[in-house]
Amino acid sequence: MATISVTELHKKFRDVVAVDNVSLEISDGELVGLLGPSGCGKTTTLRCIAGLELPDQGRIFFGEEDVTFVPAEKKDIGMVFQNYALFPHLTIFDNVAFGLRTRKVPRAKIKERVDEVLATVHLSGLGQRYPKQLSGGQQQRVALARSLVTRPKVLLLDEPLANLDAKLREQMRFFTRSIQRDLGTTTIYVTHDQAEAMVICDRIAVMFSGSVDQVGNPREIYTKPVTERVADFIGLANLVPARVKSLVSDCLCVLDIPELELAETITATHEGQLSTGQAVILMIRPEGTSLDKVDAETEKDVNSLPVTVKTRTFLGNVLDYRVETANGHVLRVEEGPGKLVEVGAPALLSFPYKNAWTLLVDMDKTISSS
Amino acid sequence: MLGLKKKDRLVEQILASRRVVFRCFCRYALILPVAVFIVVFLVIPYANMVVTSLRPFLSAGRIGHGLTLANYQKALADPYYLKVLGTTVLCGLITTATCLLLGYPIAHHLAQRETKHKGILYAIVLSPLLVGAVVRCYGWMLLLADNGLINSFLQYIGLGKAKLMYNFFGVLVGLVHIYLPFMVLSLIGPIQSVDPTWRSAARTLGASGKRVFWRITFPLSIPGIISGSVLVFLLTVSSYIGPILLGGYSVMVTPMLIVQTILSGVNYPLGAALSFVLVGCIAIAVILIFRATDKLLKGVDIYEA
Repeated sequence: MATISVTELHKKFRDVVAVDNVSLEISDGELVGLLGPSGCGKTTTLRCIAGLELPDQGRIFFGEEDVTFVPAEKKDIGMVFQNYALFPHLTIFDNVAFGLRTRKVPRAKIKERVDEVLATVHLSGLGQRYPKQLSGGQQQRVALARSLVTRPKVLLLDEPLANLDAKLREQMRFFTRSIQRDLGTTTIYVTHDQAEAMVICDRIAVMFSGSVDQVGNPREIYTKPVTERVADFIGLANLVPARVKSLVSDCLCVLDIPELELAETITATHEGQLSTGQAVILMIRPEGTSLDKVDAETEKDVNSLPVTVKTRTFLGNVLDYRVETANGHVLRVEEGPGKLVEVGAPALLSFPYKNAWTLLVDMDKTISSS
Repeated sequence: MLGLKKKDRLVEQILASRRVVFRCFCRYALILPVAVFIVVFLVIPYANMVVTSLRPFLSAGRIGHGLTLANYQKALADPYYLKVLGTTVLCGLITTATCLLLGYPIAHHLAQRETKHKGILYAIVLSPLLVGAVVRCYGWMLLLADNGLINSFLQYIGLGKAKLMYNFFGVLVGLVHIYLPFMVLSLIGPIQSVDPTWRSAARTLGASGKRVFWRITFPLSIPGIISGSVLVFLLTVSSYIGPILLGGYSVMVTPMLIVQTILSGVNYPLGAALSFVLVGCIAIAVILIFRATDKLLKGVDIYEA
């Protein structure tokens, strides 16, 4: 098993910068996700690590060994591709045995290892079929088996579940995760599906336009995003431009919200250095708020805003409200299905200080409107 | 009242059946011209040829009545005719194999790499198709003749003359050049359809470039190899201009023999019989090729299905 270390990786395709200064440290046995919208460079990063692309700059280490310029066939890796890339002219057995045969494993041993790994992915007895005779979920498991049969140091998964239907995808998430945990293989998992990344990964690296904005465990990424686009990409978020009015403590600050033209200020949490007067973004998650009647009592350490309910949508497990502030700024609020507030009625939106998170404004304003 | 209803129904039925007829007519009307053309200019002449091949030959230009197998007997038993047939098939096999060996790397290159010169390469590969076979053969004659360009050069550097034309070698050079584009065009599609991620996957499984080619790209391009080989073989064994111009009369192939039999000997029955023997040989060769590759294609068929 091995650690993976990527330092200052750069990769250009003609004039297009695909990977722009990516650095990652992955410890032994860890599963790290590369999460980002399509075209953010996550697959290129993975292909560089696999040795299928040569980086223009930067270094890649497996353990102590510098593998930057080692081609894929000389690296001890297993890789699963988005379309599974099963060889159509070979049986399932031969597909799985491919990596063992290139490594000149004795025939009897090959049979034993292939049967063993097919059993692990619950595909015993399908060895003589051809890939097209299998369902999508089975093909995915064959691809996983093929990448694991050589017992690689490093496992690279490139959107392995993207082509499955929603239900199967959910099953396979847990399945993939449990196999990885059993084997303890250091793994990089590329995905654009944040729910998938949350379930599977120990840590997530969120990528945008070629660079990593934030690396952290799923909870950190969700509750304490460092950039506007991370906040926007992971889950739903109300993002409101604000200005720092005063600093209360290391982690609490008071914000002015010019856009909302509020008489009140909002107290929010933050991390790192902020200075008075600095432009920031206030993030409020829709589920971190509660909507009450106007005359409800406000608790301690809670912000409250007078709003009007615009729409209410029943989504089964939640009620999705859109509420409007005094000057017409619309915020999204999620409430429990039992908490009915009438459409058109004035209400009080309240959220604890800890649910108001302060973000720095992105240097390049490339935020997509949601 | 009841009678009227019955009548209505009858009218309706007639109209419905007319509609069906009309629809059928529409469906077949578009094929009709081609069908007529094929029947008049292909089926009838072929039928006529079959009959002719079974008629007794009396003397030049005169065909007798009655049916006989004598022409086939002659076409299949005469050692000279068999030798010519052998030369034809050998010529076809060598040309096909050479086209495959030369064409595969070209097709592989054109199919896979994003090269700047792709357009130029295509033009070079396809250019033989733009010039008629006669012109192309004359071009080769200028190069290969006893006092042609190559021999002049060889003499100049003191190596003496080589016999390059009016022999089997000359014929092969001409035929390979003429039919290479068909092989390349047949190969490009199947090679292109080999998904690059299959090759990537093979590499991550430890396969070297050579192994990736022999285990992945090559087996998956077998459909193209078969269709290209069959095409080139068919065209070669039935070619006439190449052998006659570059082989002179020193290399005799079946199409030349057929023309000679018909034009010089005015022996239509034997000419027809020789033609069908050639067709039979081609059919057997094609069946053998498909049989041999059937097993190889098993998985490939499945992925194409």
